[in-house]
Amino acid sequence: MKDFMEIEAKTIDEAIEKACREYALPREKLNIEIISEGSGGFLGILSKRAKIRASVLSIDMDISGPFHEMPRSVSKDIPVETQDVNDIDIDMAETSRKMIEGILSRMGFPFPVSIKESDEYILLNIKGDGSGILIGKGGQTLDALQYIVNKALNKNGKERKRIILDTENYREKREKSLVTLARKLGEKAKRIKKPVTVNPMNAHDRRIIHLALQNDKELVTKSKGEGAFRKIIIVPNKKG
Amino acid sequence: MMVKLIRSMAEALVGNPGEVQVLETRGGQTSVYELSVAKEDLGRIIGKRGQTVKSIRTILNAVSSKSNKKVVLEIVE
Repeated sequence: MKDFMEIEAKTIDEAIEKACREYALPREKLNIEIISEGSGGFLGILSKRAKIRASVLSIDMDISGPFHEMPRSVSKDIPVETQDVNDIDIDMAETSRKMIEGILSRMGFPFPVSIKESDEYILLNIKGDGSGILIGKGGQTLDALQYIVNKALNKNGKERKRIILDTENYREKREKSLVTLARKLGEKAKRIKKPVTVNPMNAHDRRIIHLALQNDKELVTKSKGEGAFRKIIIVPNKKG
Repeated sequence: MMVKLIRSMAEALVGNPGEVQVLETRGGQTSVYELSVAKEDLGRIIGKRGQTVKSIRTILNAVSSKSNKKVVLEIVE
């Protein structure tokens, strides 16, 4: 038997009553710790349930009396709560890592994957063999894997952290080459004084192009087209 | 190998992994895989504008390019 029990009810009184029934002991024989006081909410909607932690009052505790009881309950509460939060976090990073390792090994690429986590995203770095087969043309294979892992982890509709996949430092290299491309096409647009169209790209890549040229007063960037065909047009500013 | 790969990805994406089925028809140049899932999971496998199934096909093509064979993935109702 667990040495304590967590009970939820509409009110604290109800929770205590329930605890007495569970242990089949009167209130005096139980140590009750209040975790959260219930609140009525609005017409019963949005109401928060009262939560208590109940344990059988042992004889030792009875003798040491109320002295020990208070600090014990306070200090006991904090580590339990934080550990719960961490568990969920570790879980998602670990789950995503296991998932991508599983897919990779079935693809015939049993590469190790390391985790780097921030508040907004989880970065999974695949230690590739340098062949680039996992990256694909224009990063399409890596993006496809990233898409599948994100979809699979978000299928419950819960708001979760974004998963970013990387291998052989591809993401950084890609960003650099996109910035170079943006500047080159920007110069071309200014030279020929006509709009220049960039090949269709995904949202992430388009964002890099927009950001690379946003401080250039002589150019304006726009997006045109739908879905996979959406592309950027770099337009020279009329006044420039 | 392909069947296992398709199955593992499909099972991760759907709500009813028990109903995922993959049928393989091997050919000399091309192999055809027919994937079927529970009716309510069809949307999850296809995705917005077919983005999810497109990603699965991209991954399959990356694998098959090693062996110079073509892979066709069909989703059957």
